Amino acid sequence: MSKIKTCVSLYSLQDEYLNHRMTLSDIMHFVADNGCEGVEILPDQMLHGAPDLSDETVAHWHELLKETGLKPVIADIFLNTNLYKNRTLTHRECIDLLVKELQQANRLGMHLVRFVSMVPYWVLEPLLPYCKQYDVAVALEVHAGMAFDIPETNAFIAEMKRLNSPYIGLVIDTGIFCRRMPRVVRAYEIQNGASEGMFDYVDNLFKQGTDLHREMRKNGGKLPDGFVAAMQTKEDELFGPLCDGYENYPYTVLDDLMPYIRHFHFKMFEMTPEGPEYSMDYKGLLQYLHDHDYDGYVSTEYEGNRFTLPGHPVVEKQQVAANLHYVQACLKEIQG
Amino acid sequence: MFDNNVFLENSCVNVTENGEVTGFELQTNITYYRGIPLSMIEYIHVAVDGEQVPDEDITISLEREDWFTLKEAETVTTYKWEYGEPLYIRVKKPGGLTPGEHRVKLTVATRTAYIPVPLEGNKERTVTIA
Repeated sequence: MSKIKTCVSLYSLQDEYLNHRMTLSDIMHFVADNGCEGVEILPDQMLHGAPDLSDETVAHWHELLKETGLKPVIADIFLNTNLYKNRTLTHRECIDLLVKELQQANRLGMHLVRFVSMVPYWVLEPLLPYCKQYDVAVALEVHAGMAFDIPETNAFIAEMKRLNSPYIGLVIDTGIFCRRMPRVVRAYEIQNGASEGMFDYVDNLFKQGTDLHREMRKNGGKLPDGFVAAMQTKEDELFGPLCDGYENYPYTVLDDLMPYIRHFHFKMFEMTPEGPEYSMDYKGLLQYLHDHDYDGYVSTEYEGNRFTLPGHPVVEKQQVAANLHYVQACLKEIQG
Repeated sequence: MFDNNVFLENSCVNVTENGEVTGFELQTNITYYRGIPLSMIEYIHVAVDGEQVPDEDITISLEREDWFTLKEAETVTTYKWEYGEPLYIRVKKPGGLTPGEHRVKLTVATRTAYIPVPLEGNKERTVTIA
């Protein structure tokens, strides 16, 4: 029996926060008022001084949890291997930084942290005693463009399986389950000078059941000839390669990973007026998760904000609310 | 990327210290979606009316108390440039910007945790100095 619960990554409301239209308190109340059950936060984004939080900041966070009834689900953390300009951090320095993140998660009442993609596998074994000490699991984000064909991701998965600990797992970002290229991305990049033909080419790949990332892999890492032929402007040099960040995996890619999956980012570019997200079939995925007895959160992660056309308002609140209501309706239908 | 975060509107003013105009100041949000230590600023450039000022003439501060040259900032790991808080950028220029309109361009690049190239943001604004 699945136990799928809703969550919002506060990353979704970053423009509201950046421009001081909403405080952390406003944002947490907003998602709770829309029926959300759990909360995901990037401490580096909305908690000043992270990971060395003051007692006041931690107390305020717990007050907000109490006021809103939101469950603290997961903290998204990063590893600043390039903290210094002249060298990369040593292994021991990396572990020291990550231990601080685990301490911080513990103070925030979180039992799970998300490692950003490309965090190296070798951090896992030295971190395990600290995971146990602070009762915080670590999970690598599997993100489109950095998913199951990338050596760093596969090395992490291999080490995760070798260590086989309840404190190590994965976060899946649903950008790997795109069935169409987001049209907000297309519109934004064309407005910035990119060529329509490039996006027509990618749309066609999706219609054939594949994607640009997969075609590049088959082509030795290079853009396919047809795509290159469609590149007409200097802006295409910038935007073209970014088109590989939308992948088209079948859900079955998760079959043998389900025991390790701790959390989902329900990546969202555009909730349509008709209900579903434009590029991804959340309902199909939720049915898959239900059929595989997933017990965890699916977390709204809005990223259409960065593709807002000039002169248009950023519609984070409206999109997050639409996403929550759609996922809630799907869950009601699927889980009862 | 993050061009919209760069160079806060109406933030460019001349700076007066001890009765003398010593340069000009501008403010910017971070070219990233999270806060990072100052050491993770890869570079900052300022251009006035099409001419780039020497990077050595730029100092930065999080609170207008402690100021760092860009070279010094490379070792500042304990102070964070927070998401949603401005960075103050001062350019040494005796007499400051002359009265009237100027085109001021700001470029900010930060190193990120997993993207191999720094994230650069640019914004040029027409600035009126009284």
